[in-house]
Amino acid sequence: MNIVEQKASKETDKLKKIDFKMVSFTLSGKDYGINILKVKEIRKAGNFTHVPNTPVYVRGVDNLRGDIIPIIDLRIMFNLPAETKEAGGLENIIILRMDELVLGIIVDNIEKVVGISKETIQPPHPIFGDINVKYISGVVENEDRLYIILDVDRIFGYVPPVEERQQIAEVKTLPPMEENPATDKRPSNESVESLDLQFIKETLGTFSGFYATALNQDWLKFHAVEWKTQRQAQGLDFQLTNSEDALEFLKVFPSPYTGRLWDPSDLSILFEHLDFEGTQITVWNPGCAQGYESFSLAVGFLMKYEEKNIKVWANDKDLLSISMAPSLSFPSVPEEYKPFMVETKTGYQFKTELKSKILFEYHDITHMNPFSDLHMIVARDTISFLKPQDQEKIIADFYEKLRVGGYLILGQNEKLSNSAEWKTVEWDDWSIYQKI
Amino acid sequence: MRVEYINPFVESAYNVLTEVLGGEVKRGNLFLKSATKPVLGVAAIVGLAGEVEGRVLFDMSKPTAIKIASVMNAEEMTVLDDLAKATISELANMITAQAVTKLHELGFKFDLTPPALITGDNMEVSDQEVEALIVPMETEHGSVEINVAVRERS
Repeated sequence: MNIVEQKASKETDKLKKIDFKMVSFTLSGKDYGINILKVKEIRKAGNFTHVPNTPVYVRGVDNLRGDIIPIIDLRIMFNLPAETKEAGGLENIIILRMDELVLGIIVDNIEKVVGISKETIQPPHPIFGDINVKYISGVVENEDRLYIILDVDRIFGYVPPVEERQQIAEVKTLPPMEENPATDKRPSNESVESLDLQFIKETLGTFSGFYATALNQDWLKFHAVEWKTQRQAQGLDFQLTNSEDALEFLKVFPSPYTGRLWDPSDLSILFEHLDFEGTQITVWNPGCAQGYESFSLAVGFLMKYEEKNIKVWANDKDLLSISMAPSLSFPSVPEEYKPFMVETKTGYQFKTELKSKILFEYHDITHMNPFSDLHMIVARDTISFLKPQDQEKIIADFYEKLRVGGYLILGQNEKLSNSAEWKTVEWDDWSIYQKI
Repeated sequence: MRVEYINPFVESAYNVLTEVLGGEVKRGNLFLKSATKPVLGVAAIVGLAGEVEGRVLFDMSKPTAIKIASVMNAEEMTVLDDLAKATISELANMITAQAVTKLHELGFKFDLTPPALITGDNMEVSDQEVEALIVPMETEHGSVEINVAVRERS
């Protein structure tokens, strides 16, 4: 036997060895399969009893020879077009059994039972856009048709991991309109708006690592409307489809003086609003990037309190930015900064004396750190870029690490919602809070 | 971890490893780690004291340690015996010492403790309130992770 023949016979061997059977069916023209061991039976039924307050994909319950089972429309669940049957029309249903859990799923057409070899199942590819990859257990080709094998245990959350349970819970709480744009009822304006906002929130997280929470929701709501009008006037889609869009959207988020030295007069007004006791003042500046903010703060402090000492702990988790921070130089600087700087060949640099007051550290603020009894924390436009659960943790952490009367400065567009523990320091639209 | 400290450690690890092993050494991406971290099998620890407090840990698998020790001693070794262990400790010492010398030139002064070598399976390392900077180094004989956890005395 030559090699080609050997190979061919191996191929047929592979096909012959059938050790996996699945029930195949279609959803909007595509072929899917479910492990036959999960399938109890197939049947046609209609006139399901509607159950109020359930997600839109739950079509109701059905009486299966005395057992009441939920009926789920898989097409609606996966946001695929679903043709609506006239009243009394029968739907194709696959009854699934996962240990004790029995439920029916509605699909377009139920085809047949396909026998395949487990070895020919390939892992799912992320481009199967219709259905989230985590719900697919594999892909298999049989008689020139490509079947996507669904993992029903995961879809119906039979002992799902914690994270998924949260997601399912989230889905359930959304108003039905958001979940199924395919339904033919006219959506009210309000829900379209919240759907837009929801979409923007999600894409911001994906494309730019900006997470919408209570901290920035006021800004986000306001800016989303602004953004939509602006984009529509330009004839562009308001939805964020890539990271450039997300960057464009966030362009107006940063607080004043991001990436440059602060204006000296604003700096002195800021320090007029702040009051520090003691002689050794400790400031924490997480998310300091290239350090402009840290230097500005130190200068502002020393302009007000000549006799006091300041120590700034400046952190960032971007290694490249923070590595440059200790040796920043400027072609020109405002007059007020000059006493703290020396002129070198490459421009103005901060004096060693001032540099020694600032400690730049490569540090991730979601990790532990030993700071305590701080006089001030300046974290502008930093927390919004953390995961929602981290945001909450960090704010609690800030409260813990500040001394009583200490200040927390957040980004202009970030507001604390739980202000029972904090007193707001009023100045323009800055977000300055004092620990009570 | 103070930014000024990072480069001396990365540079000296690269220099020393290239020098003693002779082959090509590649540096992986640096990252920070705060949770408990598994140790590959052979770990050499050098303590730091002075203006800072902390430690540097050199972590590698046992086969890698034996191969590195073989190259450094110019003889074939098959087990991690006393000589091999002393060799790995010496490597840790050389890298840390060179880094500390560089830092000294920059005006940061701190002292070293003699290296300690720990071997075993399924070990983990945890640091209280200090996050560790991980410098992964890929050598011809396997990977060596340099795990630096230091903090300023506040």
